[in-house]
Amino acid sequence: MNPEILYLFGIPAVAGIVIFLLGNRSPLFSEGIAVLGSIITFLLSFHIAMSTTRGEVLTLFREELRMDALGGLVASLVALIGLIAVIYSIPYMRKEVKKGVVPSERLRSYYGWIMLFVSSMLWAATTNNIIMLWVIIEGTTLASVILVAFYWNRNALEAGYKYAMLLTVGITFALFGCILLYSGASPHIPSGLDPLKITEIAKISSKIPKSVVLLSLALLLAGFGTKSGIIPFHTWLPDAHAEAPTPVSALLSGVMIKVGAYALIRTVTVFYPVYPDHIKLFIVVLGVLTMLVGIFMALMQDDLKRLLAYHSVSQMGYIIAGLGVGTYLGIYGGLFHLLNHTLFKALLFLCVGAVSSVAGTRLIHALGGLGRKMPITALCFFVGALAMGGIPLFNGFMSKLTIFLACAKAEMLWATVLAVLTSLLTLFCLLHAAYRVFMGKGMDAANTPRNEDIKEVSPLMWGGMLVLALLCFAIGVYPQMVFPILDASTRAIVSMMATP
Amino acid sequence: MAMEEYAKLISTVSLSLILTSYLVIELRNLRHSAYAYILQALLMCSLFVIFARQNPGLYYWAVTAFVTKGVIIPYLLLRYIRRTTDQEFPPLIGYLGSILLVSLIILVLYRVTHHYIDFLAPTPSATQEPFRTNLAVSLTIFILGLYCILSRRDAIKTVHGLLVLENGVHLSLVSLAPLLRETAIIGIVTDVVVAAYLLLYIIFGVFEKFGSTDTFQLKGLRW
Repeated sequence: MNPEILYLFGIPAVAGIVIFLLGNRSPLFSEGIAVLGSIITFLLSFHIAMSTTRGEVLTLFREELRMDALGGLVASLVALIGLIAVIYSIPYMRKEVKKGVVPSERLRSYYGWIMLFVSSMLWAATTNNIIMLWVIIEGTTLASVILVAFYWNRNALEAGYKYAMLLTVGITFALFGCILLYSGASPHIPSGLDPLKITEIAKISSKIPKSVVLLSLALLLAGFGTKSGIIPFHTWLPDAHAEAPTPVSALLSGVMIKVGAYALIRTVTVFYPVYPDHIKLFIVVLGVLTMLVGIFMALMQDDLKRLLAYHSVSQMGYIIAGLGVGTYLGIYGGLFHLLNHTLFKALLFLCVGAVSSVAGTRLIHALGGLGRKMPITALCFFVGALAMGGIPLFNGFMSKLTIFLACAKAEMLWATVLAVLTSLLTLFCLLHAAYRVFMGKGMDAANTPRNEDIKEVSPLMWGGMLVLALLCFAIGVYPQMVFPILDASTRAIVSMMATP
Repeated sequence: MAMEEYAKLISTVSLSLILTSYLVIELRNLRHSAYAYILQALLMCSLFVIFARQNPGLYYWAVTAFVTKGVIIPYLLLRYIRRTTDQEFPPLIGYLGSILLVSLIILVLYRVTHHYIDFLAPTPSATQEPFRTNLAVSLTIFILGLYCILSRRDAIKTVHGLLVLENGVHLSLVSLAPLLRETAIIGIVTDVVVAAYLLLYIIFGVFEKFGSTDTFQLKGLRW
């Protein structure tokens, strides 16, 4: 009995409800409750991750809720980015109100939905019930729909409609997959045990009829794959990530798509030993194609947020490819990149938010020479770009190297070559954008706000960015610091795989 | 009730479910389409009640489906149709073409799934009647919903399609998961109701900003 699991997603949910009920008093009240809820949630997630890394498995309600090291890893990432995004939102959204883009009374709805969104993602990381996993993954979409369409202008509404429709349709495929798995597993699970529990299904995965498993996996890949931005189901991602307020983009790109990948890990990897070659190869191919499509689309973008969103598609390809290899090294690499991508992608989105908040545009061609006036933002963006580009001494290098090695050792050298190529293109794309925005010639007079308005953003904004940049650097220099949690998470996945 | 009559009743209701999906998709008046959806929901509830003779747990499903699909969702649909427009924005495929295509989908899909049910059925009992028919009908309705979403320009009509698609999945629970716990059932239907509400809420925003519910106008964000 570990009630802290319940508190983990209960606290942000209660914070969200309190904001909805009482937040009309003043924006300060909503901000205060959101920050307080996020701090407590973060501390709790840190405490839980420490326990699960030591090998403990936390459970509640007869294993209905269950957290192993993987759950601890995902929950701590969600809580960390949630906290940084909420603190960043305070100056960011106040400025949006000041500009007249957002009416001040809508701040209540903003903070309320953000807390519910964070709560839903944390809940997803704790459930051990296959149907509830589906319910909550769809819940993460529903909790973020209003945030994606928050600006309520033409682009935001278009993004919101596509986001809600595509993800709901996609995820319905996963429901079919979950029900088929549950139904196929039921006759083989001894009476007295619950066939809805993922841990029970995993134990008898080799007994489910093969045709049913294949159909379920296809449906799960389509459903949860839509959520993780895997091609060809990625089309919602650039729209939603670009049109949402920037702190929400950091949450969507930083953690929400990882929660989709988490659902895939929980439901698909358990079948690896039963169907070694077909499934793994298919998933690696899917990952590599996702990498390539993402990077080529990113190269064509002029809007910084769309550029980063397509990079998210591409980087999810690495994670999926790593997980697809299916060996300890591959899964370790996939999880390592999942952690790293969370850090540097949230960092890059927050930097772009800082730029667009000050300069009034996020189009690369209209920006330039901001580095001298925004040195911290520029530094952080370069750290994020180098990390994502896979340069040594930054965290992205180590995780990408692990994935390259895992693919090569699994005799998929073609995947390694294409992944290296994608990495080089990523580096070029990001450094080119960073150079144009921060070091290139100054902004056009027509696009320039008053000169004195261009200055470094508030410490509440750059503080979170700096923390993330330091983490990217620290993990790059000393990757052993995250070894225990990644090793424990990888072992948790491997131990779930049934013996054929 | 004799076994034969029982099977006949199930077949009749299942066939009616396909016909109501047909009506939801093909009726051009959104209000009428919503009424066809209510009819489908009621038929689904009665099918749950019929199957509940074997699995009493399904009575719970019948009540839940009635409240959400028969009352709450139609209320939301009709409310937003009243606030926007009740005439569907004409789809790309004409009336006759669509009817022919839908008929073809129904015939081929139903025949194929009914015949090759072994591929879909996770347990031996699911390959037997009446579950065999139920699974084939579920998959047919699911694909019809998908067809509606993909072929229609009107945003509210795509919500109709989504609801038909969800009905297809929920119908399969009769054969696949009759003993599903209440918490999971409540979770599933809550998601559907909230998804429908949020989509209609956003579509109303689209109607206000764009002046219509034509999804072809949503082309600002490309590539």
